[in-house]
Amino acid sequence: MAILEARGVHKVYETRGVETTAVNGVDLALEPGEFTVLYGPSGCGKTTLLNLLGALDEPTRGTVHLLGRDLGQLSSAALAQLRLHELGFIFQAYNLIPVLTARENVEFVMELQGVPAGDRKARSDAILAEVGLAEMADKRPLEMSGGQQQRVAVARAIVGRPAVVLADEPTANLDSHTASALLDLMLQLNRESGVTFLFSTHDPMVIEKARRRVRLLDGRIEADEREA
Amino acid sequence: MSLEWRLAWRNVWRNPRRTGLTIAATVFAVVLVVFFVAMAAGLHEKMIEDAVRLQSGHVAVAGAGYFENRTLEQYVVVDPAVEAAFDGAEGVRAWAPRVLGFGLLSKETDARGVAVLGVDPEREPEVTTLAERVQRGAFVSNDTPRGIVLASRLADNLGAEVGDVLFLYSQAWTLESAFDLFTVVGVMKIPDVNMDRSFAVISLADARDFFVYGDRASEVAVLASDAEAAPLVAAGLRSTLEGAEPVDVRTWDRLMPELVQFIFLDDAAMYMLLVILVVVVGFGILNTILMAVLERTRELGVLLALGLRPMAVFRVVYVESLALAGVGLLLGLVLAIPLVLWFEGHPVALTGEMAAATELFGMEPVMTWKLKPLNPIGSTITILGVAALAAFYPAVKAARGRPVDALRSL
Repeated sequence: MAILEARGVHKVYETRGVETTAVNGVDLALEPGEFTVLYGPSGCGKTTLLNLLGALDEPTRGTVHLLGRDLGQLSSAALAQLRLHELGFIFQAYNLIPVLTARENVEFVMELQGVPAGDRKARSDAILAEVGLAEMADKRPLEMSGGQQQRVAVARAIVGRPAVVLADEPTANLDSHTASALLDLMLQLNRESGVTFLFSTHDPMVIEKARRRVRLLDGRIEADEREA
Repeated sequence: MSLEWRLAWRNVWRNPRRTGLTIAATVFAVVLVVFFVAMAAGLHEKMIEDAVRLQSGHVAVAGAGYFENRTLEQYVVVDPAVEAAFDGAEGVRAWAPRVLGFGLLSKETDARGVAVLGVDPEREPEVTTLAERVQRGAFVSNDTPRGIVLASRLADNLGAEVGDVLFLYSQAWTLESAFDLFTVVGVMKIPDVNMDRSFAVISLADARDFFVYGDRASEVAVLASDAEAAPLVAAGLRSTLEGAEPVDVRTWDRLMPELVQFIFLDDAAMYMLLVILVVVVGFGILNTILMAVLERTRELGVLLALGLRPMAVFRVVYVESLALAGVGLLLGLVLAIPLVLWFEGHPVALTGEMAAATELFGMEPVMTWKLKPLNPIGSTITILGVAALAAFYPAVKAARGRPVDALRSL
């Protein structure tokens, strides 16, 4: 059974009376444990589709189901709860909370989930060690490099034990060495914890390492390849 | 500290210069509000105190209808039982019976209409400052029968001086003619010009004898612990004295409605200025919080994307505003309260024309401050209320944002 599924999803933007179709009838189902990339040229609808799948935006037509629940039927508070418990996000610009330390950023989701303080501390220490940032736990984002910030973002995305992690061009702002290390980290987490990953990317290295590759063009799925 | 408080508190200090300026404006406003409200409270208390000590007392007890007619027909009998009632009344610091009559005072061929107040030379100085207003000679005493103290303009108009003998003509309570010779024992200055032209004081014993008034009094002036205690004292006296004969018990505010009006107008003018000041502070807080929200649109979107509920985002922004105002308020009170307390203990003496003008109104020429508990409490509620109001729009704006719009905003 698909963990996350888009059925006939359209997204049309209207600007000054001009309609632009960003996503044009996409059907996509993600199975548990998949490591999938959405790729394609700029403006093909990758980020828009990711936002729709991540309950950050509403489709103009069609439905999105997460763990069997139709997102279109949920209130904004229920969607917030769903994002909190079932989804993890990694953004291109890291988007860590600048007034919180690395540890506090990682604990943020768990705190919202109501995880007791002791457990939060243990889990955040463990995940920061896993992403190689144990010694940076008390640093704020501005005191860290881009790669370090993105690793904290990865830790924040998976520490809440979500069903799916959605990553929007996570390696776009990183040098190739750091990007490769980060990707290996996510592959390892995918293998070890079974978390489902869905990336949007331009990065050939990411596309190459993914086990499922979905190519978008003009808002439609042009190709959907799985590794044997 | 909860997550929302931690986020809010740290966000307050993200732009220390802007936060510092907003806090400084709040501190300035709080100090001004507390200082000026205390100054007005001190001034008004002093005005009331000086006015009641000039003549009326905090509470006056008279026969029914006296305050409207002021004739000898309305009276209270001050017998030993009534004296005991005044002595035993709760909150009464001092009391003094008086007889007020009207007559014609003449010296040689000149005559003037006068209000003659008969006072108890021993009790009266405990209630009012009449005795202190004597400029030449002395106040009336029981040792000098048929002595009279004239207001200064009256003395000037009659050409009378201490030692002169004047003829007082009036009508007694018994409706017979009353007349006698009185010796001027003193001349006193009364701030009210009209009163200074037509006012004279004799002893209570002489007044009762002259007006054939027995143990009656036109009114009994009562000094309470302070003006705020007056209603309680009046209520107590009303219930104690009720029954025998109808009495009218009035507090200072009913005896001097023009003073109440003046205080009201003075307060209104001051509060209008303070409201403007507080509104300016409110806009300062609104500006700071709105800027902070607009600058953090993307960050607030991330919070929503990560699962923070819109209501929690609203609370974060609200707490930021209250924290900002709270710090300013706290610092403001820390500065303002000792400052006002210092001035409360060190009244500022007025000099020159300011002093002369103040004395003209019968007030001691000093500026006093009075810190009432309601002052800092009211300032706290006002500033926090303004901060809450100012934060509403930015907080709603932050909470209503859709995460996708916020993430797209940069």
